[in-house]
Amino acid sequence: MTPDLSVSIGGLALRGPVLAASGTFGYGTEVPLLERGALGGMVSKGIFLRPRAGTPPPRIAETPSGMLNAIGLQGPGVEALVRDYAPQWARWDFPVLVNINGESAVEYGELAARLDGVPGVAGFEINISCPNVEQGGLYFGNDPRAAAAVTEAVRKRTRLPVWVKLTPMVSDIGIIARAVESAGADALCAVNTFVGMSIDLAAFQPRLSFRTGGLSGPAIRPLAVHLAHQAARAVRIPVIGIGGIARAEDALEFLVAGCSAVQVGTATFVNPRAIAEVHDGIAAFLRARGIASLGDLPRYLPRD
Amino acid sequence: MFLVDAAIAGRREVARGMFVLSMAAPEIAASVRSGQFVNLGWSGGPLLRRPFSVYRVDRDRIEVVLKAVGVGTTALLAMKDGDRLSCLGPLGHGFNLRAGPRHVVLVSGGLGVAPMPLAAREAAGLGMRITWVHGARSADELCSESEGDAIVWTTDDGSRGVKGSAVAAAPDADLVLACGPNPMLAAVAARWPDALVAVETYMGCGTGVCLGCAVPRAGGGYDRACKEGPVYRAADVDWTALPSHLAYAANA
Repeated sequence: MTPDLSVSIGGLALRGPVLAASGTFGYGTEVPLLERGALGGMVSKGIFLRPRAGTPPPRIAETPSGMLNAIGLQGPGVEALVRDYAPQWARWDFPVLVNINGESAVEYGELAARLDGVPGVAGFEINISCPNVEQGGLYFGNDPRAAAAVTEAVRKRTRLPVWVKLTPMVSDIGIIARAVESAGADALCAVNTFVGMSIDLAAFQPRLSFRTGGLSGPAIRPLAVHLAHQAARAVRIPVIGIGGIARAEDALEFLVAGCSAVQVGTATFVNPRAIAEVHDGIAAFLRARGIASLGDLPRYLPRD
Repeated sequence: MFLVDAAIAGRREVARGMFVLSMAAPEIAASVRSGQFVNLGWSGGPLLRRPFSVYRVDRDRIEVVLKAVGVGTTALLAMKDGDRLSCLGPLGHGFNLRAGPRHVVLVSGGLGVAPMPLAAREAAGLGMRITWVHGARSADELCSESEGDAIVWTTDDGSRGVKGSAVAAAPDADLVLACGPNPMLAAVAARWPDALVAVETYMGCGTGVCLGCAVPRAGGGYDRACKEGPVYRAADVDWTALPSHLAYAANA
């Protein structure tokens, strides 16, 4: 018997719980080796209203079981996204959410308004947690009022699902989670990268040109499981777990800890088939234990 | 693009500390073009794959050339015949050689030999006369393998061949292909704006999604070395914006 892996995230039906994380899957037109039937959905590379060049190299640095990145949200801007990518997404059999970014709540709202109703755009992931842009980004993510204001600005301009991607760089993720839930978010994504720094001892300077970068990969997994769990305890809306997932067991940790779905990111860089392997591994895990559907997976989620 | 579970099938030293590693990867061997690369990962290795130009193809095997410069290359050189590598490729845009030029000059510095043997074979197949100019710091760091109709060696210390840089020693030609440290490629761009150069950068995915391997364009903005590159028209790269302090740039 094949277990039922479908999930519903705030009204958005997904055929499986494994999504491609923003910034690790481009606009979905790369990664040719992946069996796409395993994709529950995809979150696009982060987009701003206008094109952005991104940060100078070096942009990435490997660290123990992880990587630091400071790409700086390089992207073509919303008009190019609407023209070049959305028409392709409209033909795909899985939903594409757009990761949206701005320097003010007004800009986030404008992006949502521009993309609302564009065929191929199934929803939004509000990025209030990018560590690699000078304005906005993290600022919105660690102030509950600013986080709520951005969420509200987007909520007012669209009926599509609105997810909010949280930063781990906060003292209490539950406070931010409740603030954006109250502001109308349909789901939370927890968590974005941790801010880190690495020094090149041959050059006596940081290894990244941006000085700091976002840490991802297996190195952050236990930290991310804890934060996703804390977020899930704090709210009633679904939480999508993110952070260092490379195998099915990693994803299952997030799911048991209270998440409804997961996103796979850095693992795709290493293994283009990672998403399919995680999806298939979850199915095998459930089958081996006689669990008929993902909804029947035992959860560890005491409520706050 | 293929993902091949490749067994290591031999290793030889071609200069002091510089090794050619051979692996069985039939699909890649059959389709790779000069200047393209493979991204290698292995069980128990570092998180990210490591990119290498394909050095040569021998039936169903491909070869790469490397020195131990960090944890990844050190681990690769400690592996034995029969050990498995996960080999992703061929990746990127190579030299895309076409018939036309009568005389091609290959200019390589240190590990910049990497794409040249394959380029030489393709050029020979297109009827070009080939001059290969290869430079290193000293005689023992010069690659012992070469191809082409004329070979020019250069060393910084004059211990073999012409004393001085490979760029200075190279003749003009209809077509110039170059690979080496960034400062060397900047000198190539100054002398031959239309030369085709293979750029080395740190790389994440190798498939175009992470945007980690940014190459600054002369006209502004960034390309991906793994997708639009790694081969560029020399004048199309903003050499002043490419980091020169990186380990590979300094020691290649």
